[in-house]
Amino acid sequence: MEKQAYIVGVYDDEEPLIEAARKFKDEGIKIQEVYTPYPIHEIFEIQNVKSRLSIAAYIYGWIGGLSILAFMQYAAVLSWPLNYGGKPENSFPSFILVTLVFTILFVTIMSLTTFIGRAQIFPGKTIDIIDPRSTDDKFIFVFPKEGTDRQKVESLLKSTGAVEVYDR
Amino acid sequence: MEEKFSFPSKLRISAFALVAIGVIAFIWGFISNPDKSWANLLLNNFYFVSIAVGASFFLSLQYIAQAGWSSGFKRVSEAVVAYLPIGGILFLVLIFGLGHIYHWAHAGAADHDELLAHKSAFLNVPFFSIRMLLYFTLWIFMARYLRKLSLKEDVEGGLTWFEKSEFYSKVNIFILAVTFTFASIDWLMSIHPHWYSTIFSFKTFGSAFYHGSTAVILIILLLHKAGYFSFLNKSHLHDFSRYIFMLSIIYGYLWFMQFTIIWYGNIPEETVYYALRWDPQWKTLFFVDIILNFAIPFLVLMPRATSRNKTVVLIVAVIVLIGLWVELYIQIFPAISEVNSFGLMEVGAFAGFLGLFILMVATTLSKASLIPKNHPYLDECLNHHF
Repeated sequence: MEKQAYIVGVYDDEEPLIEAARKFKDEGIKIQEVYTPYPIHEIFEIQNVKSRLSIAAYIYGWIGGLSILAFMQYAAVLSWPLNYGGKPENSFPSFILVTLVFTILFVTIMSLTTFIGRAQIFPGKTIDIIDPRSTDDKFIFVFPKEGTDRQKVESLLKSTGAVEVYDR
Repeated sequence: MEEKFSFPSKLRISAFALVAIGVIAFIWGFISNPDKSWANLLLNNFYFVSIAVGASFFLSLQYIAQAGWSSGFKRVSEAVVAYLPIGGILFLVLIFGLGHIYHWAHAGAADHDELLAHKSAFLNVPFFSIRMLLYFTLWIFMARYLRKLSLKEDVEGGLTWFEKSEFYSKVNIFILAVTFTFASIDWLMSIHPHWYSTIFSFKTFGSAFYHGSTAVILIILLLHKAGYFSFLNKSHLHDFSRYIFMLSIIYGYLWFMQFTIIWYGNIPEETVYYALRWDPQWKTLFFVDIILNFAIPFLVLMPRATSRNKTVVLIVAVIVLIGLWVELYIQIFPAISEVNSFGLMEVGAFAGFLGLFILMVATTLSKASLIPKNHPYLDECLNHHF
């Protein structure tokens, strides 16, 4: 696959980045990607992007919880009823502990799998990192080179306090 | 930043009216049904004292964690803790009516009861009263001392007062943990003198912390609605609702832990507590307790949008505080009266105590600047953002 060409704007800090994101939105220029060392909620709000991973996790929670309850009901009540110390066969309170633990495990594994699937990352994949410094202390904007008004973007980046603009 | 709370005369009048309703309810109650009135006295006493103790714990925790985000609101926790002296006096009144609530306090109760005879070294009226006095002396002393340090910080500034507060907060949570454990055993668990649960005091302490913090948060939101704390933003709100959310999980966990251990063990001495509350007339309230205190705050405050909404958090806080009342009702009343006779008496008694609580909190709030002046982390609170 041919490597796509990008324009990269580098910021030193969170505040100018947020301001710049607002300005770009006002100007109607779409930022393709934002890479920051830590998640910044304002960027999501300004870009109007919502992660649906939490909704997925919520649904997984219900699926995991209900299915393990159903399984225990089947195993301990319907299929092979056992009398444990005179307890009723449908020992609901004792199922809850297992349900709790299993639900957490299920949600964790399933959300991780979903995330890996959606982001298309897997162990051993070589990842094209736009700017390694964005994992350290820099905040970067990435624009595709095609279909972007180069001069306008550059001047906007510079005026909003970008410390560096380069092509890649 | 200078902001002073002025006690609105309307609120003062309604608080006095609430107290009057309470006085009438108690006079009427003591004539018509003394047992129930004493139980109501205990319930409301415990309700507000546990809120005050929880607020004291909350306040100390903020110092120990050196929390910046909540530093601007610490006067509210201080004001809630200031209810303790009133709570102490009203609790002392309870000593005259111990026989109406506590089976072990009857003269000669231990004569034919081996277990009570064994426990009588601890559960007897003089020692009970001495312990009660000791708890309140320690709590009030610590609360006053922390308040004094906080007010001195306002005048003089510097880090000394903060460091001192932090140290005495550590002393305070140690005292609270030990004394409130015994207090909950004395005041609530000994209603069933034959019954015991090792996790009971932990659960009560967790509940006090939960509801104390919720009361503090509710007062902050009400003050914000009245025009104070203009700097309160979504981030503060989110932190507050995280507090309620986290503590609701702890509450549900402890509630279930006590239940499941007793259910699993299936020992008659332990299950009698739940068997009594499983009776049809109490059963609904028994489950309402866990719904109000755990299910509703847990489910409602889970999404980011609701936990950043003032109205939602306010409503949830009110629901949780109703939950504390239900929790105490289901702990105290099945042991005292045969029938579930919720009525005007309960409402009136609660109104009276609420009036006193409002008077105490609002008076204390109006005495000092609403926002601490020289708190080292104040700026972090004013510009809180995450």
